[in-house]
Amino acid sequence: MEKLLVIMQEIKPGVDFKKENNLIENCILDSLDIVTLVTEICDEYDIEITPLDVVPENFQSAETIYKLITRLQNED
Amino acid sequence: MAYTSYVYLLLFLSITFLAYNLVPNKIKWLILLLASYLFYCISSENLVIYIVISTLSIYFSGLFIQKFNDKFENAKKYLSKEDRKLLKAKIARYKKIAIAFALIINFGLLLNLKYCNFFAETANSIIHCFNSSFSIPWRNIVLPLGISFYTLQATSYIIDVYRGKYKADRNLGRIALFLCFFPQIVEGPIGRYDQLADQLYEGHSFNYENFTFGIQLIFWGLFKKIVIADRVNTLVNTVFDNYVNYRGMTIIVSVLLYTLQIYAEFSGCMDIVTGSSQIFGIHLSKNFKRPFFANSINDFWRRWNITLGTWLRDYIFYPISLSKAFMKLSKNVKKHLNVHFGKLIPATFALLFVWLGNGFWHGASWKYISYGMYYYVLMILGMFCEPLFSTILSALHIKRKFKWYHIFQIVRTFIIVNIGMLIFRADDLIVAAKMLISTFSGFTFATLANGSLLTLGIDKLDMQVIMFGALVIFIVGLLQEKGYSLRQTIASKNIVLRWCVYFTAIFFVIILGAYGVGYSPADFIYAQF
Repeated sequence: MEKLLVIMQEIKPGVDFKKENNLIENCILDSLDIVTLVTEICDEYDIEITPLDVVPENFQSAETIYKLITRLQNED
Repeated sequence: MAYTSYVYLLLFLSITFLAYNLVPNKIKWLILLLASYLFYCISSENLVIYIVISTLSIYFSGLFIQKFNDKFENAKKYLSKEDRKLLKAKIARYKKIAIAFALIINFGLLLNLKYCNFFAETANSIIHCFNSSFSIPWRNIVLPLGISFYTLQATSYIIDVYRGKYKADRNLGRIALFLCFFPQIVEGPIGRYDQLADQLYEGHSFNYENFTFGIQLIFWGLFKKIVIADRVNTLVNTVFDNYVNYRGMTIIVSVLLYTLQIYAEFSGCMDIVTGSSQIFGIHLSKNFKRPFFANSINDFWRRWNITLGTWLRDYIFYPISLSKAFMKLSKNVKKHLNVHFGKLIPATFALLFVWLGNGFWHGASWKYISYGMYYYVLMILGMFCEPLFSTILSALHIKRKFKWYHIFQIVRTFIIVNIGMLIFRADDLIVAAKMLISTFSGFTFATLANGSLLTLGIDKLDMQVIMFGALVIFIVGLLQEKGYSLRQTIASKNIVLRWCVYFTAIFFVIILGAYGVGYSPADFIYAQF
């Protein structure tokens, strides 16, 4: 989780990702940020995130993103 | 059949509403299907065949894909990881054939009907460069109603079934209704199957709140379209059709009024169709979210024609930018060249296709492609120069959270959007450039007061109504932007006050609507796409 928070901080500095639960609805992450984030996550965790996984529910908070990573790691 | 016509509002919509509420819930969807096909046949006559072909193509392809999705789901539990991969690869081949069939049929029809003359013209220009007398003949084609909209709906359905997002629908009637639901067939919003199909199929009993809120929305849409957009139309046409005769402030006013016209018209149409659906208890996706309060062009496109933007995002932007090839390229650029550029590489390529798609979708003309490219270049410049902007702001001790900076961003975005609208409305890119340059010559604020604007086909009353309408739209937008729900507030007032508001709104539409002698109702601009 700490590793993920560091990646997110690099992409969007100044956001408290530990507390923020509405990253999409509050427009904190836009589609460009999502692509950058997905590229970094795939690189770091060696997983494949498809467009089907890129839905608001999976990117609402650091926690939901981490759940997605864990799920994809287990699926592999 | 125009959504603003008496035939639609007083006959078609009213009779469909009555019929819908008279039949049992279980068969209500059949009323909607019947009404939708009747609407389509009245508007497009025998061209209905094209939407039938699209419907059948996605229906049968969907079932075919689903058969293989089910086969894999059932078999995978009993297979080892290796065998699972093998089976998946084998099945993928058949699924790809089915989706290719559906996409070729749907995009093939769209390209053939909407873009064949554009391709022919472009090919002829190239042929003539080689001094050849051969030319591809022009075809006289009438476009089927809403083909640009329902094609995107159809393809989103089949792609989602292919991806396994949801199961293919076994009910042909439900697919047919999803594609040709009458309120959204002309100008959208572009619906998604998982958000719309169930709503259309379920029977909704009469609901007073849905009914009144729907009627309110219809009147709000009529206000925008008939009172504002149709009134502005004359002035805009006068200036754009004779642009060589005008300069300075006149051009600026005409561009601003065109932006007002297209917004009032398109969002007004969305209000009418959303209201038309809401009286049946069906909620369509939002297509506008106060776009002129946007503080960047990215933000603007998240608020303007939202359903087109999300379609392009989900079916072009993400698949390209998240493809293995671009992820690998990004990794290499980060490693060998520059980390910032490396992060932006996938988005840069994907956005090129998004904006080409956006421009091309709007029309078969180079000016629409230029319109898309205008936003692409601005967006890319913004992305790549972001570190530079941050450095400048930091050196000047300007924080992005400052209120005045936020207002500056809104004004900047508004100017950029208006230049985009100039490209969109002008005959071609050269005319747009000439008009833009001519705003700097003979510029004087006196144009606003010396009455010269009133020689452009509208009189003083028209101008006052337009200004009043724009002010109302601005105030309503500002209140909504601050989280204030006007409709809920009106609904909570006592019956006397509530009906005073309703009658005032009806009065404004009837009295101030631009119809009768001297006016001709303008066609919906987006209906031509």
